[in-house]
Amino acid sequence: MYCTRDFAEKKTYCIHNSNPRILTVKNKPTIALTGATGFLGSHLMASMLSCGYKIIILGRRTKEETLQERISRLLQWFGIEELTGQLELVEIDFLKPMLGLPEAEYKKLCLNTEQIIHCASDTSFAERKRDIVFKTNVTSLEGILEFAANAHVTFLHYISTAYVAGANGTICQECIPCASDFFNVYEESKARAENMIYSFCKKESIPFTIIRPSIVYGDSRTGRSLKFNALYFPLQSLMYIREIYLNDIQNHGGLKSNPHGIFIDKEGYLHLPLRIYLPQEGALNLIPVDYFVNATMKIIVNASPGEIYHLTNNSPTTLEGISAYNERFMKIKGVEIIYAKSADNVLRNPAEELFDRFVEPYRLYLSDNRIFNRVNTDLVTDNFYPPEFTYEIFKNCMEYAIRVNWGESIFVEEHRES
Amino acid sequence: MQNNVNASGNTETPYKTAKNCRHYAMCKIDFLGSGVCTSGLEKQFVSYYPQGRMILYEALAENKISVTKKCVEIANSCNLCGKCDLQCYFINEMRPTKVMEALKNHVETFIKNGGKIKPPKDDNLLAEIRKIVGDNWATNDEAITVTYSHDVSPISEPKIPDYVVMPNTKEEIASLVKLFNKNNIPYTMRGNGQNLLGFAVHEGVIMDLNRMKTIEFDEKNWLVKVGPGVSAFDLQKQAQKKGFRINAGEPAALICANIMCSGIMSTFSTTYGINADNFIDAEFIDKDGAFFNLNDASSPNLYAYQNLQHKNSPGICVSASIRLHPMTEDESGILVPFQTLDRALGFIKDCAIRHIGLALGIVGAEYISAFLSPTKAMASDIKDIFIHKLDIPYLVVVIGDRFAIRTIDEMGFPYFDQRLFNALYLGLPSLKSAQWLNLVKELSDDEPYSYLRIKSFADLLETALSPSPALYSQEIDPELRPFFERLFLLEEITDLVWLNMYRIMSTRLGRKKPFLPVLIYLPIDPVLINDLKDKFRLIAEKHQIDNDMGFITPIDHGKRCIFEYDYFFDYNDPDEIKRIRLAATEANRLVDEYSIKTGTVKGHPYVLYQGFCRKENLLYS
Repeated sequence: MYCTRDFAEKKTYCIHNSNPRILTVKNKPTIALTGATGFLGSHLMASMLSCGYKIIILGRRTKEETLQERISRLLQWFGIEELTGQLELVEIDFLKPMLGLPEAEYKKLCLNTEQIIHCASDTSFAERKRDIVFKTNVTSLEGILEFAANAHVTFLHYISTAYVAGANGTICQECIPCASDFFNVYEESKARAENMIYSFCKKESIPFTIIRPSIVYGDSRTGRSLKFNALYFPLQSLMYIREIYLNDIQNHGGLKSNPHGIFIDKEGYLHLPLRIYLPQEGALNLIPVDYFVNATMKIIVNASPGEIYHLTNNSPTTLEGISAYNERFMKIKGVEIIYAKSADNVLRNPAEELFDRFVEPYRLYLSDNRIFNRVNTDLVTDNFYPPEFTYEIFKNCMEYAIRVNWGESIFVEEHRES
Repeated sequence: MQNNVNASGNTETPYKTAKNCRHYAMCKIDFLGSGVCTSGLEKQFVSYYPQGRMILYEALAENKISVTKKCVEIANSCNLCGKCDLQCYFINEMRPTKVMEALKNHVETFIKNGGKIKPPKDDNLLAEIRKIVGDNWATNDEAITVTYSHDVSPISEPKIPDYVVMPNTKEEIASLVKLFNKNNIPYTMRGNGQNLLGFAVHEGVIMDLNRMKTIEFDEKNWLVKVGPGVSAFDLQKQAQKKGFRINAGEPAALICANIMCSGIMSTFSTTYGINADNFIDAEFIDKDGAFFNLNDASSPNLYAYQNLQHKNSPGICVSASIRLHPMTEDESGILVPFQTLDRALGFIKDCAIRHIGLALGIVGAEYISAFLSPTKAMASDIKDIFIHKLDIPYLVVVIGDRFAIRTIDEMGFPYFDQRLFNALYLGLPSLKSAQWLNLVKELSDDEPYSYLRIKSFADLLETALSPSPALYSQEIDPELRPFFERLFLLEEITDLVWLNMYRIMSTRLGRKKPFLPVLIYLPIDPVLINDLKDKFRLIAEKHQIDNDMGFITPIDHGKRCIFEYDYFFDYNDPDEIKRIRLAATEANRLVDEYSIKTGTVKGHPYVLYQGFCRKENLLYS
């Protein structure tokens, strides 16, 4: 637990789960933050508050909750118990002129905003959701850019993705993307958004940065996370498949498991023949959310206008590595990685077929061999690197995920613990 | 006796159980193959069936009637065999045997304490009636008349008739009509009291037609002539034995009465039609006791339709020649899930226009959960799972031959086939604790329900849910569990084709609370249907009435559909009765407004006593 001080009233607040330090609010710009209810945005919000920034959260209400309620719930999760003066919430509509605000309020918002961090994003990979993804990631950007111009911000920081480089890149540079072939609609929309930002900011002389994280998982020290997709989802699905067959073996004599060669071996491991087909060898580029936050904070302080920063791992993790961690953690044997162009003619057992469906959206990332240049990042972050994805980190992350039922009971569990 | 206890929603005591009888008459048909109350079959009056004994016990508990000679006979005729427990539990999760036991005890104690059995009233008219139908088939004993004071309509006021008569032939009915006319006595015909508008209860005479159960097949012409006492369930059973199917309404509804009141409708109406599509002729007795056949040139034109809410009955239907439809061996049922009503409507319209499938119907989550779940508590959980975990607020049931199912495959819609349905149905209790359901939405991200395309998904679902009759029955009353475990071993009980033909699950919709359906005919127009659906919901919310969408079935090749919206309420709660009446009035008014505004919307109450009309006259005039 450490302390932070209120922006205006110099109050002291408690923040859990970190090392103690005293922060000041002197010379810190007031930052308008979008996407504060999301995974990365919420971590940025918490960190910036702890560092004494004054933040204006721009966001939406949902059918069930107001923006205030959404943010309060998150602050509680971060252990931030009281905030006065340091945090302002403004309910906006990204798609409406003046962000859907009355003129006076919009003007006031422009006046009070010194920097913007645009973190709001739709991270869906589904082609079916192309229109929604583009609406969120591209169309709504117009309102933010106009706001940046009207507010005469000293910086617009855009949280993008390392994968805007496109499907065909091998060495990905920290420059504006020109790719036309992407893994999915998410990458495509983010690339389009980067281009929009570049053109607009150049025209309007707005200083900007683009921050490109790779795949972000939970906190490397505690395993805590707010979102359980990407790295987590295939593992979660594997755990459920394991439970289904364990139940069959333990309660129904393996009626459905035996025909597929699924059994519990003498060491108590579940033998689950599961061949994962990948198009090529490669690795998963993983960074923990604490690294993302700390590196971003350094970038905000030290950024050069117009620069792009890759927040990526120089030591990506192979699927074989994750599979080995998983074997140890879940006590599953039989998972096999097979590199082949297609598995269409292979006869697969039901577990394989189901797991294959779960893995499908992530398959290309699992065998990725892109290398991310991070010259700019190393420069402004003073060679600050993400940790290697070790078994300890894996274990912490999985244990936390299971404890909060993969996010289902995250706020209930946290409340109980606090 | 506990006549001062609030009976709302609680079935712990015999009195409360009796008060919560839904009057669906399901105890009069052998829908579980467990047999029907022996005394009911012998004596025929509803009073000798569990439903009648429930009403009788309730009346005694409330001191509405005294112990009479028939009351003693009714109480003694029950051998406490427990068949009614099986039937009633299946539908309503109630066990009437304790009511039967309480009735016997009440009568026994009454006699033991020297109570005086009320003698029958001397009555000249009764004597005249008995001359026509025989001594056993007419009575003014209040133990019997009181059991005809309710019908299935939850909002009708109970009315105790003066006499109940059970004629056996059309000639007897004609003679009775003449007798009643001469004596200026009002009379009402009654099947199994399935009228939703309360028209099966009346003072005067009730003529119960349940003795007239003749069934004559004319296989050469794919027809069957039925007497007015034949139920949909019994006729379907006989027809199926001969390789045919009829378009049937509620299983306990009597065919002739069903046509008479509003016409027969079901999911099969998509291809078999409604109203006059279902028969080729019918025989009537008019208000003077004279016979006429529908197809006689001089007969009243019952094929016509008048947009009147209170049209008089054209006469008494004493037989009808019903269409038989051939069945093929390759028929099967599938369930096509949808995330929105609009998409489901688009699908059924497309199928109906292209003549794909024999039976089609959209059901909402309330229907799905009520039908599939063995208990109220589970239905509530399952509804939540279907909406929030499986993301299936709507399912379209399709019955079709292999060509129809293949076509739907080609149309690209993922669906639950019979094997998946079996796994889902008999594995229902496992769904509650299934963590893996959390992943289902993710699997649907690129294409809704795409997991249904996984070749071995049925194998996986069976592994995950471990479906079995024992599992399905685990939340059932332990005493009844062995029976249900045996029941769910029967193939037919989970067969979508059989379930749609016999509709034994539909009365489960009233298990949580009795319901009042708002039924309308209208075009398959998503804007119009959503608009009406929202307005029905707002009306219900205004009056604090539980509500949900019922079903939608396309008719007349997709030009129109039947849309049911349901209002649920407790008929033992006077306040809720008041509120449902207001809600029903407003809903009917709304339908009237739309009828005028669109020229294409028709309210079901207008069809009352016009069930013989041509559907074209009803839908497009």
